[in-house]
Amino acid sequence: MADETAIRTQDFSKTFGTTRALVSLNLEVPQGEVIGYLGPNGAGKTTTIRLLLGLIRATTGRAEIFGVNCQENPVEAHRRLAYVPGEATLWPSLTGTETLHLLGRVQGTVDTAYRDVLLERFDFDPSKKVRTYSKGNRQKLILIAALMTRADLLLLDEPTSGLDPLMERAFRECVHESRERGQTVFLSSHILSEVEALCDRIAILRAGHLVEVGTLEQMRHLSALQVEAEFDGTVPDLTKVPGVTGVIVDGTRVRCHVTGSVEPLLAVLAQAGVHHLVSREPSLEELFLAHYGADGSEAPSDAPA
Amino acid sequence: MRRRSEAYGDRVASRAVARNTARRASRPGALWGYVFGATIAATVYTYPKTFPTMASREALAAFSNNAAWAALFGPLYRLDTAAGYTAYKSGMFVMILAAIWGLLIATRLTRGEEDGGRWELYLSGQTTRGGAAMQAATGLGIGFVALWLPTALIAALGGALSTTNVSAGALVFFATAVVSAAAIFMAVGVLVAQLAPNRHDANLIGAAILAGSYLIRMMADSDSSLDWLRWLSPLGWIEETRPLTGSRSFAFLPIVAFTVVLVVVSVRIARGRDLGTSAFAERDAPRSRTLLLSGQAGLTLRLARPAVVAWVAALAATGFVFGLVAQAAGSALKGSPTLDRIMERLGGTAAGAISYLGFVFVVAAGLVAIAVAGQVAATRNEEASGHLDNLLVRPVSRWRWLSVRLAVGLGLCLLAGLFSGFAAWVGAATQHAGLGVDQLLKAGLNVVPPAVFILGVGGLAFGLWPRGAIGVAYGLVVWSFLVETVAAIVNSNHWLLDTSPLTHMAPVPATNPNWTAAAWLVGLGVLAALAGIAAFGRRDVVGA
Repeated sequence: MADETAIRTQDFSKTFGTTRALVSLNLEVPQGEVIGYLGPNGAGKTTTIRLLLGLIRATTGRAEIFGVNCQENPVEAHRRLAYVPGEATLWPSLTGTETLHLLGRVQGTVDTAYRDVLLERFDFDPSKKVRTYSKGNRQKLILIAALMTRADLLLLDEPTSGLDPLMERAFRECVHESRERGQTVFLSSHILSEVEALCDRIAILRAGHLVEVGTLEQMRHLSALQVEAEFDGTVPDLTKVPGVTGVIVDGTRVRCHVTGSVEPLLAVLAQAGVHHLVSREPSLEELFLAHYGADGSEAPSDAPA
Repeated sequence: MRRRSEAYGDRVASRAVARNTARRASRPGALWGYVFGATIAATVYTYPKTFPTMASREALAAFSNNAAWAALFGPLYRLDTAAGYTAYKSGMFVMILAAIWGLLIATRLTRGEEDGGRWELYLSGQTTRGGAAMQAATGLGIGFVALWLPTALIAALGGALSTTNVSAGALVFFATAVVSAAAIFMAVGVLVAQLAPNRHDANLIGAAILAGSYLIRMMADSDSSLDWLRWLSPLGWIEETRPLTGSRSFAFLPIVAFTVVLVVVSVRIARGRDLGTSAFAERDAPRSRTLLLSGQAGLTLRLARPAVVAWVAALAATGFVFGLVAQAAGSALKGSPTLDRIMERLGGTAAGAISYLGFVFVVAAGLVAIAVAGQVAATRNEEASGHLDNLLVRPVSRWRWLSVRLAVGLGLCLLAGLFSGFAAWVGAATQHAGLGVDQLLKAGLNVVPPAVFILGVGGLAFGLWPRGAIGVAYGLVVWSFLVETVAAIVNSNHWLLDTSPLTHMAPVPATNPNWTAAAWLVGLGVLAALAGIAAFGRRDVVGA
């Protein structure tokens, strides 16, 4: 298959009344990539996905899924994607089997062997009516309905909400399989460990703006390294060292962050007689929190208040 | 101190259920109260104009002993007076609508809230299951007061403004009696909400109880030897109060007792029942039937099937009753100058059964209009619930889905019309009324164009203003009923009358169908539907 772009958006925006839910999104997701889409509640993650699905109309801009304009021609775009919402609202009067049959027929293609594997893997009994399923079981049902199509693009909007850790593991297994098959996965999630474990690239959204996109390595490289040092004698003044911020002194111990090159800091530490040194890369959680500060809803300076 | 704060918490928590229920029942309650009050007031107010002479009043009074009319409208007392006429003209109509409203609002605010998971929120507070049920019943009681108050006030006002001698007190008694059907069926709704596994099934059981009550009183009213039967039907008790024609207060005793007993029993059941379960067990693992589920059209058919079957059955039953009583009612119509005049104005000339059927088939048209508004509501609810998302995120186009959805509504109109016509023919044939099946099928189909118009306008509203679509569709139906009430009593060709699709219907089979009007209604309906489909393709999908 030719190397295609799974998702491409240009100045993709959505305004609800006076609220700018998504502002000028420019994003490209190559085929075969697993991309994590992060952001606090209300950042515009679900809005992005509903726009890509053509469920809501873009205020400006355009978007393509495998080259098909998904706003103008959603039916065509949907032939190559499968979507899992964070909350499964299925027809309560249908049974699990009926639901899977219907959604498979509507989609047009189903890998029945894989469907049976999924039923087993998620330990799901499809014989009951949807209204009798728990939240977690409904989520399994809608996950199976999406995964069994083996669609080229999986749009997942917090797909594991309500799943227990065992099922969460089963889900990760499915994403790994999808990646191996060359499927593209767009994973919107709150569960940072999940994103860290699964995603090739990460995009971070804040108040409708895409503020960061790259691999975890790239992001780590750009952000601060955490350093903890213990000294034999007096603690040197690190606040003047280039690239060092957030210095906290506790007796003979000191903690600080370093951005960019660590050489100036190492030089100072070596002179001062350091006897214990720990440095750690930031976790995704720290990276994520660094983008929002304490208040995740804080708007960037160019967004309206 | 600790105990006191707990007691306070309990009181606040349980009052929250009552308050929320009361708020959500009171708004529609007050709205229906205005409609009911206006219906009654209009009837009293216009009586002197409609029946200006003694002769015209006596002609009407000739119906007093007509079993067929009594079966349809309840026992007819003192039909030559304004009071008797008002009781006959608006009594059964308001009573049935009030009962239906009471049932639906009660199941929605109890079982519907439970199905939606909102009761879990209440019950995770300091309210008990029984306490919450009691508070919900109290809230519904407040909703009933919100219904009763405008009904009684506007009815009394209509009496005071009219030149008739119907007293305001008698009208308040009448209003109280007819809307008490809402209280009775609220209690029925609260009970079936405890018994059924979900709101939908609760409504079906409640509707069966209502239909049973109606049929029992129908038998009692059509044959004086069966008078005692009336005491077996909640609707019969309301008739026994003889509002406006005797005002017998003691008949309120069974009404109050029945309502209270049902509420007490419901609270008892609620106390002993697990949340989300029911006394009537539901098979949670039925055999899967995938026959219809091969695509979105099949799904739409399957989801609409219960409503379609229920409405077609209801229309067939109505048609059968019309046919059954047509011969007797028609012979009473003969030689009545007033009703001849009414028929003449409507364009009919023939007398007898055929004339009567032309007169009453507008009731079938009204029922089909309600059914079709229900289809618009189902369309919107499919979107609001988020169920539609499951289709639209797959290769299903919006215009195809909405086209199929509206086509199912159209199919419902056609089936309901044809079955009502055919059943009317069967009913009439048992009485040897000598009517052709083609005449009555035509009468049945004649009710379709107004419904198509309402469906189209509902579809347009769905496309342009999804959150208002249900209101627009039902609003148009209610408006048509009101105009119809007025149209029956004013002579002029007032433009207001033209705003109701029902007034454009010819009284088939008494006359030939008005093909021009029918073509206009269907044409405008189809155009509106197409515009709605186009608009739906261009808007956001919006949840509840």
